[in-house]
This record gives sequence, structure tokens and C-alpha cells, in this order.
Amino acid sequence: MRALGRLIRVREVPVLLGLVIVFVGTGLLNPIFFSVSILNDILFGVAIVATLAIAQTFVIVMRHIDLSVGSVVGFTSFLIGDLSSKGFSLGAVLLAALLVGASVGAVNGFLVAYLGLPSLVVTLATLYIVRGIFNEVGKGQTIVESMVPEELNWLGLNRLFGISYLFIIVLVLMVFAGFLMHRTRAARDLYAIGSNPSAAGLVGIPVKLRVLLAFTSTGAISGLAGAVMLARFNSSSTQSGLGLELLVIAACVVGGVSIAGGTGSVFGAVSGAVLLQTILMAIGALGIPQFWQLAVNGTLIIAAIGLDRYLSTRVKSSNIMGASS
Amino acid sequence: MSASSRVVLEIKNAVKAFGGVQALSGADLVLYEGEIHALLGENGAGKSTLLKSLAGVHRIDSGSITLNGNSFQQGSTRTAQQQGVAVIYQEPSLFPDLTLAENVFVGRHLQTAKMVDWSKMQLEAKTLFDQLGVDLDVNRIARGLSIADQQIVEIVKALSIKAQVIVMDEPTAALSSKEVERLFSVARTLRDQNCAVVFVSHRLDEVFALCQRMTVMRDGATVGSDEITNVSEAQIIKMMVGREVSELFPKQPPKLGDVVLKVENLCSSGQFAGINFEVRKGEIFGLAGLVGSGRSEIVRAIFGVDQYDTGSVSVHGVSLPKGSASKAMAAGIALVPEDRRQQGLLMPYSIAKNTSITVLQKLIRRFVVRRKSEEQVGLKWAKTLQLKFTSIGDAVERLSGGNQQKVVLGKWLATDPAVLIVDEPTRGIDVGTKSEVHRLLSEMAQEGLAIIMVSSELPEVLGMADRIVVMREGRQVGTLSRDEATPEKVISLATGAGALR
Repeated sequence: MRALGRLIRVREVPVLLGLVIVFVGTGLLNPIFFSVSILNDILFGVAIVATLAIAQTFVIVMRHIDLSVGSVVGFTSFLIGDLSSKGFSLGAVLLAALLVGASVGAVNGFLVAYLGLPSLVVTLATLYIVRGIFNEVGKGQTIVESMVPEELNWLGLNRLFGISYLFIIVLVLMVFAGFLMHRTRAARDLYAIGSNPSAAGLVGIPVKLRVLLAFTSTGAISGLAGAVMLARFNSSSTQSGLGLELLVIAACVVGGVSIAGGTGSVFGAVSGAVLLQTILMAIGALGIPQFWQLAVNGTLIIAAIGLDRYLSTRVKSSNIMGASS
Repeated sequence: MSASSRVVLEIKNAVKAFGGVQALSGADLVLYEGEIHALLGENGAGKSTLLKSLAGVHRIDSGSITLNGNSFQQGSTRTAQQQGVAVIYQEPSLFPDLTLAENVFVGRHLQTAKMVDWSKMQLEAKTLFDQLGVDLDVNRIARGLSIADQQIVEIVKALSIKAQVIVMDEPTAALSSKEVERLFSVARTLRDQNCAVVFVSHRLDEVFALCQRMTVMRDGATVGSDEITNVSEAQIIKMMVGREVSELFPKQPPKLGDVVLKVENLCSSGQFAGINFEVRKGEIFGLAGLVGSGRSEIVRAIFGVDQYDTGSVSVHGVSLPKGSASKAMAAGIALVPEDRRQQGLLMPYSIAKNTSITVLQKLIRRFVVRRKSEEQVGLKWAKTLQLKFTSIGDAVERLSGGNQQKVVLGKWLATDPAVLIVDEPTRGIDVGTKSEVHRLLSEMAQEGLAIIMVSSELPEVLGMADRIVVMREGRQVGTLSRDEATPEKVISLATGAGALR
């Protein structure tokens, strides 16, 4: 009973409820929506945003943000195809993607932690810088299916127990990152930093180092997500990943990862991504013009923040009542 | 505490200067195991600097600090805690999104096999809360906790690091009387567990109720230290101010004029109802009552920062529109709010800017505000209020609490108000400045200002007010003239104890 009571207060509950409502509601209006293939389309389609949302959670819980991930993931998806077509092994190209992502993350983290620059501005700058480098390196080239490593191609086409391998990757990453976020000191420190930045230093948390490491991890995972992107689309060009960062942040916020820091989970972030993807599919299934999707996403973000504010003020007032009685 | 008690901490001849300002010039402090020790002194006497040296925020220039016979390592809050010294500030800064259990162990989470062990942290936190006799859910988040509960969490944190010296810096300033009682019982528990507790407060009655020994500081140096039973209140005050304070509240008989402010049947649902009173020119009108009885809400409604449902407020017979602070200001009302840090001052701005902000419109020449005229306004009031400062361009955050309060007063007096509302005008202010603030208020009333004073301190209300309205649970439960008002009457009205008669 106590566990149930606690579950209701959990931040991920609203997004899961939203997911059920959208899914069942759409299915009732158009029964085709209840098919396995639709479910698979959702999970297959969401893999990139979900992976990036997991990575983004590390920085958002610290009350920071990383806008550079869209450029990073696009660039590494290109690099993976380009390098492997030049004969490098899969391991080598994945390592290259990881290092590129981690380097961008480390630059972000250094500027934010050690120079005290605001993450919004720093990562906006690196968003443009990485995209600029990408344009120069990729000058007019396109990665086509023949250049995609065979293993990635296979991952994009096959399923395990009926679930796309791309989403299996998301699940494994989510469980692993979720465990670390809950059970390691370093990750708990990120929540403390986001919850009360000035107090975090006073309790002995190495704030600068943590910020640097978190941005580096976000960058590294976003770099690896290039592989997921390439497996999903089987192609890449200098347009890849354009604007994706905003969708990723939307997924986190909708999933209860508070933009004000201190709270939220990778499970919530993935759920948020799945909800946004489900709505995209539902809009298709219901024959609603596609442009409504963006408006719905926007509405959801406001709803998520509104709910967040409502819940936190409710906590506050219930305590005041408790104290006076 | 007995003569055989062991010395835990000893500070000898501590000296500390900030730039040209000598904050400590020979401070001594000896703490014994199992005692509650009052650290007293006016604001600016060096208490904060001394405490911050113990907390690891400052490092003393010369002198010595020994802890258990060893030299105390100064430098960071972390090392201070590791050596067993914990400081609980008046307003603790917890992590609002983390659970109480995690707040207790944050930065040093308990681990099993290198992994954070949640159940162990919950269990240990629970045990510590139980030890103090405080019932709080360790799994709830800290957001929304009262200041009193936040302090308890900090104390539990101190216990969890096995602190031997626990410093409480003005913990009772923002607490209700019930919460103060609980804090006292917690402090006694700590004492019985052989901690040395340092208690800083400006309320001498609390010091006598709680402490075994006391140390008084003045101008950065220790001027006396003794068992509490050996000293009287008057002696302590004399040590603190270095002179006899003949009359704490220099009150002259009022010269009453016409009615300035009239409040008729003011109601605000859930806050207060049926409020009626008049305030005359030259009168000091006291609003007494317990914390939460609706006093601050009423003055906020009068000043127009809060809405009210029915009733009216008029100044010189002209009724004010509700919910408009700018109209209230134009009609000559000024409000010195309760919380000067949050509501009264722009902390990083200069004394001049803070004082002149209420009259900026008048200082505009050719579309811009001239710094010169800001400074003139600032200087004028600094002089009138006898503000202690180095330069009029100094940020107000660098002033002591008492001097900050003077700046807030000056800022509102600059508007040349007809009615001045002061909410807890001397909260957290030392005895010397307090008496000065009282003198100023009294003088201004003599000059024809109508003053409404909200105060939780009984001696202050009784000493200053010409007439007192007592509030209980949002209702006006009694009006007393200066001659009728006794502490017993006010308390029985405020608590409802008299209602049974």
C-alpha cells in the first residue's frame, strides 16, 4: 500500500497516464492503431530521440542544458558512414563517434564549469560550431545505404522478441543509466547541484568536476547515438539531426525531468520521448494534418511545466496545513 | 555542566581584518562538553565573523583555535565538518528536491559495495530524528518544510557527522513560540549527549531559559564570560553596549492630531475579518498578536500589495482603491516590510540607490536620474538615522542587520509619508540599534507621523504603542490603551486564554 501511495506521487506517472490515454483513445477511434506493427513503428522511430533524452537528463538535472546534441548526433552519423566506407572497422568508427561527442561535451562542460558561462549560450555556440565543421567536412556528400556498416544495417532491420533492436539498445541504456543515476554518489551529486547550486559546494561536492563529467557523458552518448541514427535512416547528410535538440528537451520536460533541476529520471525522459512519438503516429492514424503535431508538442510542454508547478505548490500548501494543525 | 567538564573548544585572541575593517580584535571563547553556551553581542560585534571562522568560511589572521587539544584546521566548510564542528544558520539552505534522508547525507551518501544504500540512509536518518524526538518523514522532499523543520534537518546532519560543537546562529529569529520550545528541547538533548552547543540570540529571556554559560563580545573582542546564574539581564546589556541603557524604549507622551488613517470593516476571506481602527497624527498604533494571527496580512492589504474582499481604507478621509500600492504610496502610506532582505532592500545596490528608489521620479532631470541627487537623498537619511557606513556607494548587503533596517526606514521616510507602517521593525537587530530605532520612531511620531507598528515582541509593543489592538486568528479581539496594556492582558487576548473568563 505504501509503495502504491509513493508511486502516485512519482513524477513519471503523468506521462505514463498520457501515453495510455493517447494510445487507447486513438485505438478506439481507429482500431488499426492497436496493431503490433504500429507499436513497432513507434519504438523504432523513437530510438534516436530516446537515446539523446537519456543523455540530456544528466545535464538537465543539474539545471543546465545541452543544445549541441543535434549537431553532434548528425555529425557522428555522417562520420560513422564516411569512415567505415573508407575501410575502418566498426569498433574504430564507434570509438571515433564516442570521442567526437565526448570532446564536444568536454568543451561545453569546461566552459560552463570552469569559466562560469551559461550553458544555454555555450551549447548554442557549439551547436553552430559543430554544424559548421560538419558542413565543411561533409561538403555536399551524402552517406548512402552502401556506405552504412553492415552491422548497423542489420540492427535497423531486425527485432528481438518482436521489438526493434534499436529500442532494445535504448532499454539497455536506460536501465544502465537509470541504475547509475539512482545508486552512485557522483550521479546523486548532479541532483544536489541542480537542486541548490550554491549549497552543493558547501557540502563538499566537487561541483566543477561533476559538471564537466556530466557534459562529457552527455556528449559521449550523443556521439554514439549517431550509430542509432545511421541504423535508423540508412543515410546521412549535412542536414541530419537539424533541430533535434529541441525535440529531445521537449521529451525530457514532458517526461518530468524538471528544467529547474534537481529532479527527474532517465525512465521519465524515455517515456516522454515515447509519448511524443505516439502522438505523431496517432495524428497520422487519425488523418489529422501533420503540422498539428508541432502544436501538440508545444501544448504538452506547457502542460508538463504547469503540472510540475501545480504539484510543487500542492506539496507546499499541504505542509503548511500539516504544520498549523 | 560541572566544574569537572572537559574543554572541547578554545579560541584564544582571534584577530581578523577585512580590508581596513577590524572584525575581530582579540576574541576568546571556551566551550565545555555538555553545555549550551550563549554568544552575545550587538550586530557588528564580531559574532558572525567568529562563527564563520569555526564554520570554515573565514580564516583568522592570528590567534589560535584548539579542538580537543589539537589545533583546528581552518579553511573549508568540509574540513570544519570533518573535525566535528557544524554551524546551523538562521535560514538553512537544504536541497529542496531531495528527500530528508538524502539531505542529511548529501555529499557523503552512505554506500554498500560502492553503491548508494538508500535503506541504510533512511534508517540512520530516521534513528537520528527519533533521537531528537522530532517526527518527520525522512522520505519526503525538503521543499515546503518550515524554517523550524529545516533547522532540525540541519541539526540531524550535524549529528550524523558526530559533531561535537554545534553552533546555532540566531535560530529562533523566525520561529513561532511553539517551534522555539521544540528547538530548546532539541538543544537540551544535544547537550545531554555531551555536545557543546553555541546559541546566538538577541532575546535575552531565551538565553536565560536555555543556556548555562555566556560570552559577550563587543567591537570584535570578548568582554566577558561567565555562568549564566552569576549575571543579570541588566549586566549583560551593559556588557554588550558598554554603557547603561537607561531606558530601552524612549517614549514621550503623544501629541495626537486628526485621524489620518481609517480602516473600516476590512475582510479578506481566510485571512482576517471585521477589522476596524483609526490612527491619528502623532500616534503609535500597535498591532499585537501571535505569529500567523493576520497582522502582516492586514498591513499588506492596507498598503495595497494584497487584495481584500470587503471594507475600506481611507487616508485623510479619502478612500483608497484596493490592491494598488502605488495609489497607497501617493496617498502617503509607507510600509517597512517584515523581511528586509527579501522585500525591503536590493542587497547588491548601494545605500544611496536603496534610499532614493522610492523617490526616483522626483530626482529625474532631463529624463535621467542623477547619481548626485541619489547620493544627496541617501546622505540626508543616513545622517538623520545615524547610519554606520563607510561610503554611501557601498552595497547594503555589507551593512549589519540593524543598519540595513535603518536604510529601509530611510527609504520610506524619504517619501515624506503621513502613515508609516513598520512590520517587526527590530527583528534580528541588536539591543543598541534597537533602542535607536525606537527612539527614531518615537521622534517621528512627535513630529506628527502616524505609525502602525506590528511586532511579536511584547516589551516593544508595550513600550512604544499609544494604543494596542490585539489580533487572534484573523480577528480583532481587543483594544487596549497604553495605560491599560499589561503583558498579561495582551497575552491572554492573543492566545484566547482570557476567553474562558
